[in-house]
Amino acid sequence: MDINKIKKGFNDFWYGKPHSAEEGGRRLGDILEDKTGLYKHREWRGVKDTMYYFWNIWCYNYLHMVIDIMKYGGLVPFAKGVWRYRWVGQTYLPVMHWFDRGLQGLRGEALKGSAWHYRGMVNASIVQFMYMFVADANLNKGKKNYWHDHTIAHNETLWGGIFYPWSDQYRNVAIEMIPYFVTCHVNSHTVLNYIDAIQSIGLPGDPCPMCQAEAGIFLLDDVPDYANFWLSDNEACDASVSTSIIQDWLWDKPLYAMTQPMRFDDPIAKKYCMKEIEGAWKFIEEQTGVPFNYELLCKRLNQQNELMRFEWEKWDVAANTSCYPINGVAQALYRIYQSQYGDLPIWHEVDAKVRKIMEKCVAKKINTFPKTRHRVIAWSCAPLYYSNWVVWAYNCWGLNVIINMDSLMFDMEIRTDEYEHTLEDIATYHMWAPMRRMAVGGMHHIFELWDYKERFNCDMVAMYDQLQCKGMQGVHGLFEDEFRKRDIKAFWLPHALPDSRTVSRAEIRRGINDFMSTVMQEEPLDPSLLDFDDSMTW
Amino acid sequence: MKKVCKFFLKLVGILVLVFGVLFAIFFFDLDGKLLFNFVEPFLKKHYDNMEREDKTKMPYDISKYPARD
Amino acid sequence: MKDLKHLIYFEDLLQQANNELVQKGRADGNKAVGYTCYFMPEVLLDLPGCFAVRLRAPGCTSPDVATYYLSSRTCHYARSLMERALEGGYNFLDADMATETCTATTRFQEHMEQKHLDSVEDMRIVDNDDFFVEFTDVPFKKTPNSQAYFAEELEYHVLRPLREHFGIDTSDEALMKAIDLHNEVSNLINEIGDYRKLEKPTITGYEFHVIQLVSLTCPKYLIIDKLRETAEELKTREPDQRWPFRCKVLLAGSENDDPDFTKMIEGCGAEVVCDRYCYGAVESRVPIVVKEGERPIEAIARHYLETSNCPRYMPQDEMRARKQHLADLAKAYNADGIIVVSNKFCEYWSYERVIDSFVMPRDFGIPVCSIEKEYINSASGQLRTRFQAFVESLEIKKIQEGNK
Repeated sequence: MDINKIKKGFNDFWYGKPHSAEEGGRRLGDILEDKTGLYKHREWRGVKDTMYYFWNIWCYNYLHMVIDIMKYGGLVPFAKGVWRYRWVGQTYLPVMHWFDRGLQGLRGEALKGSAWHYRGMVNASIVQFMYMFVADANLNKGKKNYWHDHTIAHNETLWGGIFYPWSDQYRNVAIEMIPYFVTCHVNSHTVLNYIDAIQSIGLPGDPCPMCQAEAGIFLLDDVPDYANFWLSDNEACDASVSTSIIQDWLWDKPLYAMTQPMRFDDPIAKKYCMKEIEGAWKFIEEQTGVPFNYELLCKRLNQQNELMRFEWEKWDVAANTSCYPINGVAQALYRIYQSQYGDLPIWHEVDAKVRKIMEKCVAKKINTFPKTRHRVIAWSCAPLYYSNWVVWAYNCWGLNVIINMDSLMFDMEIRTDEYEHTLEDIATYHMWAPMRRMAVGGMHHIFELWDYKERFNCDMVAMYDQLQCKGMQGVHGLFEDEFRKRDIKAFWLPHALPDSRTVSRAEIRRGINDFMSTVMQEEPLDPSLLDFDDSMTW
Repeated sequence: MKKVCKFFLKLVGILVLVFGVLFAIFFFDLDGKLLFNFVEPFLKKHYDNMEREDKTKMPYDISKYPARD
Repeated sequence: MKDLKHLIYFEDLLQQANNELVQKGRADGNKAVGYTCYFMPEVLLDLPGCFAVRLRAPGCTSPDVATYYLSSRTCHYARSLMERALEGGYNFLDADMATETCTATTRFQEHMEQKHLDSVEDMRIVDNDDFFVEFTDVPFKKTPNSQAYFAEELEYHVLRPLREHFGIDTSDEALMKAIDLHNEVSNLINEIGDYRKLEKPTITGYEFHVIQLVSLTCPKYLIIDKLRETAEELKTREPDQRWPFRCKVLLAGSENDDPDFTKMIEGCGAEVVCDRYCYGAVESRVPIVVKEGERPIEAIARHYLETSNCPRYMPQDEMRARKQHLADLAKAYNADGIIVVSNKFCEYWSYERVIDSFVMPRDFGIPVCSIEKEYINSASGQLRTRFQAFVESLEIKKIQEGNK
């Protein structure tokens, strides 16, 4: 009997197999089924982490998915919603697989911290779609109930905080947040129906596919009728502006466009923006008959400011230590889900748990991603269908994505000492929204990359290349020039936001593999992840 | 005492069994396989065959909504 | 019809951005100020001491270097401008007054800008030490709040730099002078364009397009005499005995500064009687009215927001009113149908085109031909086939209506 073999076998069982190939690695690619990306068996992470994953993540979240549904409206509206809407039926059930993809290979505190972020996102998603279903006239034979008259609809890029002043009586739900945005992460199959639908009536294939899908949902009659009026905005790009042309036609409800200046550094712009926000508030007052409540606004803003302060603490740990217990995908998604919707109880609950984990990591100097070879900053907008590429990149190559561009928007507290200050800050806040803070208002914003790269102590850039984003395509060459001039190690990651058909996940991996082996001359940590077929995966 | 022990043993047995079944589902990704191979295709078929309103027939009343400041 | 006396001269002027009159304008000591979008009021750039040049890149079919910078997936117009700039074609410019109105042209103008940043090296595309780019923010609404904001923006981002860099007089009196010149040109263009409303128009869409473009790209004080002569000439111009077209159409859509595209449509039998596209819409020549109690700059801001029908306007009433406006124009110009064109990669018009192609036939009974085009595409056989088919369908419709 080879005692070393037995010892290794025991260690592999007790602690989980080591990461890298040299150490007789875990070969995560081998546990994946061909094409579907399902697991032959889920990963064995050692006794402690496997049990944590099984009990505290898998069982806990399945159970809480049911509890949340009961809590926010009950099984009946949920079942009706599942039967009526593709985006929820196809997306809600594989949620645990979304966890699997986002948490693959993680151990210890990183596993725990990242999983709590996912829990927060699931709860917030359930809150939103249950609010939709409870109010949905489509599920009530066309009848409009109390909640239909007490729910406000808005574009997903319009920050939820705008509705705080009415939050004691009214709910707000972004129209596309769950039907489009969340589905892309959880089950990227559904969104393709909406893209195809809108192209079938003559829209060319080249506008931003996010906007295409957001219009397609309306065309396919897959939007719950849950509100009497709605608000739109002009976040980010030409296509998002234009989408509201189609949405207005197909939804046919009173609409207020809360437009924001593009040149947001311009001191004159803020004043204008403030008036636009007041215009939106006036519209809500008219539609609801309920006056604006400044105290309530401040109360909710103060709660939201707490979330922002903790986010800064997280960034500080991420930037200056190797103890940050959240992986790149959990960081990115949680930040955008949280900041876009605004204050919700679950965010505070999750932040409290994560704070404990993070403080433990810092106190004990736990290296949460011990196989980090490069600290990476990811810039521009990420592929929604493969947001977990960062998990793969760490497992395969030791590329640890520390921060990404969209996490850095909304980077401020909002003052609540007096109305003018509050309004002024809300204006800035809204102008600093995702895909806006860096992408519009002058080219200098997008080149803040260099500062953030230094600030977060990164040595490599993952440059997202959203093929249909005109704003980012329009700076492609300058980035190439600057990377060369500054001798920055950077790889491009082409994708088409939600549409996995344009650039497949395998192509994304291939690009990174080529870069790492030919430019960086490095060997993979886990060679089993170099090439595998997950073309049919969620 | 014997009865309590028996009940306790039974309870432990049931819990172990439930744990075993759940763990098997978890470990072998049976939930994922069920959803991918059966539930999603079934739901897809349902959604594909659903009767949907032709939204392009939606009227487009030019003067329905007032100008707002 | 008898050839227009100055048509060949006008056509020659359109062969390059730095044409004979632009050169003369600069030789007279005036500053050449470029721009790309209707939202940048050309009247301000035509203040005494400077003149407006709406940027074009005639003949640019292969913007290779620009494609490196802007990628192959952005609007061909923006890339062509960039290519032309890289070739040195805009070195004559003294300034560019930019607007962040559509993404691709914004990026092009940001490339031209000397940003003086540590974060990105300036390309110095325009080889002129004094050249500068100034951006103006343009609201997405026409509301009073938006008008006031736009007026402030124009004061700060257009008048101030013109004053500070070039010593241009931007007083109300100077603005009134610029408005007068602008209105005179507009009235002439309208007078010329109104012949397109006749049963047998005495000016073709192509000819009008050339004249409109000349008025946008040359110093107005140098071109106005030729416009006056042309207007005079048209008073007595007789239509052909046999009208050479088979139907009349309104052309709507994205940026279009290619008269050959209009010529191609007309070559297929459809006379283009009205234009509703960026860079030449008939509304762009509505004279500016300064109301009582209004400052000229306020009137200009209001005018440009009110007259534009750009699909970037987001208020619900505006989005819907655009369709009515299109129908009204088709009626005023006796158009049998509408050709809605979006440039490839133009997101605004991609969406607007979709809704136009449903709503205009259904709610207004106006047939629509919906197409996508490149910046320069006179040789496109595919488009020709589409236009011919559309012309035939309009003829069949007319015959059917006649039989009723």
